[in-house]
Amino acid sequence: MRKFLAVVKREYLQRVRAKMFIVSTVLLPAVMSLFGIVPALILNIEAGGPLRIAVIDQTGKMYAPLEAAFLTEESDEAEQQASPEPGTENPTRRGRSRMGSRSFQLTEVKVDGRSIEEVKAELERKLRAKQLDGYVTLPADFMTTARAEFFSNNPGDMLSHTILVSSLSRALREQRLVEANVSQETRRDLFKRVNLAVVKLGATGEERDSGESFVLVFGVGFIMYLAILMYGQVILGAVIEEKETRIAEILFSSVKPFTLMMGKLVGVSLVALTQLCIWATAFAAFALYGVNLLLSRGVPARIPNVPFSQYVYFLLFFLLGYFLYATIYALVGSMVTTAQEGGQLAMPIILILVVSFYLFLPVSRSPDSSFSFWVSILPFTAPVAMLVRIVTQTPPFWQIALSLLIGFGTVLLIMWFASRVYRVGMLMYGKRASIPEAWRWVRQA
Amino acid sequence: MSANRITVKLDRVRKSFGDFTAVKDLSLTIRAGRVFGLLGPNGAGKTTTIRMMVNITAPDSGSVEVFGRRIDSELQNRIGYLPEERGLYRRMKVVDQLRFFAELKNVRGKVFTSRIDEWLARVKLSEWKNKRSMELSKGMQQKIQFVTAVLHDPELLILDEPFSGLDPINAELLKEIVIDLKRKGKTIIFSTHQMEVAEKICDDICLINRAEKVFEGSLRELKSSFGRNSIAVRCEGGDGVLDDPALVSKVVRHADEAQALLAEGASAQTLLRRLIDSGATIEKFEMVEPSLNDIFITKVTEHQ
Repeated sequence: MRKFLAVVKREYLQRVRAKMFIVSTVLLPAVMSLFGIVPALILNIEAGGPLRIAVIDQTGKMYAPLEAAFLTEESDEAEQQASPEPGTENPTRRGRSRMGSRSFQLTEVKVDGRSIEEVKAELERKLRAKQLDGYVTLPADFMTTARAEFFSNNPGDMLSHTILVSSLSRALREQRLVEANVSQETRRDLFKRVNLAVVKLGATGEERDSGESFVLVFGVGFIMYLAILMYGQVILGAVIEEKETRIAEILFSSVKPFTLMMGKLVGVSLVALTQLCIWATAFAAFALYGVNLLLSRGVPARIPNVPFSQYVYFLLFFLLGYFLYATIYALVGSMVTTAQEGGQLAMPIILILVVSFYLFLPVSRSPDSSFSFWVSILPFTAPVAMLVRIVTQTPPFWQIALSLLIGFGTVLLIMWFASRVYRVGMLMYGKRASIPEAWRWVRQA
Repeated sequence: MSANRITVKLDRVRKSFGDFTAVKDLSLTIRAGRVFGLLGPNGAGKTTTIRMMVNITAPDSGSVEVFGRRIDSELQNRIGYLPEERGLYRRMKVVDQLRFFAELKNVRGKVFTSRIDEWLARVKLSEWKNKRSMELSKGMQQKIQFVTAVLHDPELLILDEPFSGLDPINAELLKEIVIDLKRKGKTIIFSTHQMEVAEKICDDICLINRAEKVFEGSLRELKSSFGRNSIAVRCEGGDGVLDDPALVSKVVRHADEAQALLAEGASAQTLLRRLIDSGATIEKFEMVEPSLNDIFITKVTEHQ
């Protein structure tokens, strides 16, 4: 045990003290926050004032609904999400502009007996003189044809264009309904969005939100994937290190290969966890800031409402998944003599992990099927599959325990196997083991 | 320490890798407090034999006993091993490295920190204590590797080609340390194919060739069994005499003298007379003990 700890300590300290580790640990949150904040800042830059648009309304009744549509445009989305109760008018009529879009300033241009060409010509003049940014003509038959024209200095402004189209459509729809004698209440009810609350009844009848749990499972899976992607290669390198530096034989005269391998696995994994914890703290701080920001803007956001026991399972299955795939890297490391060779051999492993993500759908659709049972018991698919089952329809405890037991048992088995391959491989220098050879070595050692 | 105590005992040990037999029914007894030379040509099975003594590989059959017990991982703590295939962690400081290797032998504590300093002073590397090993020269690294093998004060020290690649001064330094350790009662096993080195420090030797033992016993015994049939000659003229197969079975000419091995049945006196008769001027004519090198070559050739 003391030797094991000595190996763990060496692996851990050597890596944590390395400059690369410190730099990458600090850099990632910094870069992440940069990517999070900078685009938001850029999109918020309002270049120029509001967009000045003139409207020639030849129908004589469209201007008012159009103006109303423009005014509700900005707060529209937030309203649909924030107030499921009908009839709550958004108080900010002028509203903030939606992120990245400019606000609009509409003016109605009356024809007043002039010919349409005359009016247009005047507007063209204003356009050129930059007194106007564009104008819309609504022909007299707009109500039936729904055809309008937009003249603009800047036809490339896609965002404004889109808003214009949607505002026009809504104004037209509104006006047609008015003309069809549909009452205001009915009109509002017609466009009320469905508010579907996904509520799952747990075994004890408690209510929880499995949608958020799904997001968390994905999050756990993603972090697992990330950790393996980043640290698998490190474990491989750690196992190969003594072969490349020719220290292996000295070590084996002092310590059992299994102890050495486990020490390496645990040591490197602690480094990975250290880094992830630092990142998680940074991310949590960032997220809390973000949640507060959203709340202050009237967007509802909160910490996912997931029972504590699920967090424990998340942690356990994250560790299981991480170790399962990490040990494969250790095994590959025990078979090869250089890190490059190992990298190639390890690629297919990552594929298994990716495939296990696709189990998400079938398992979440029928978490109680025998298919779901088996994939959540089989070691390499269990971490993702079992988590999906836990958040959808928590299986009996014995199944969770069995899955963990088999999984961690597999980890030990692979490590045992790897340490035997390592020992024999080391005794035959410079030789890469084929799989049948590795198998023979295991029996031989 | 009693000379009769046995430190290592191998009994009909056999180890093969696939079709290749690396060690074939080897039996050995290594007495405590002696310097034991495990000698043999490349590929004879020396390293495999040693690996079985330090519990890195297990024999296919036969038994390996160290300190009177079947070898196990606990006994490893009492053995110091410097393999031929050796290295250091490149990026680790010398002192951290030494501490790590000692921890793997279950040694730690205050005493041990001062022991690191003592040993570094002894191999004249004190000022390198806090340097990374990649900054050290090859010779320095080799001395550090030597220290890792002795730092935990092992009762049995196994050195596989410890001096190869060292300059004469450093080789001498390590040799003195080895002799000093022997004086302190440690058992030392030496594996080498450098016969001159083995000749100087070994008490007992075992010659192995092609996985089999050719000779085992004290160096003295081996040399006297060969008798004094080797003659160092320095003379002018008389060349034909040394090449007569009836008198000389083998002659090796050095810069200014020749080493002649007498043919069977021939005597030194006859050779000397023949040289005088041929009119050669003799400057040196000395009966010498055969060198271990000669014995080694003879034995190995005979065995094949």
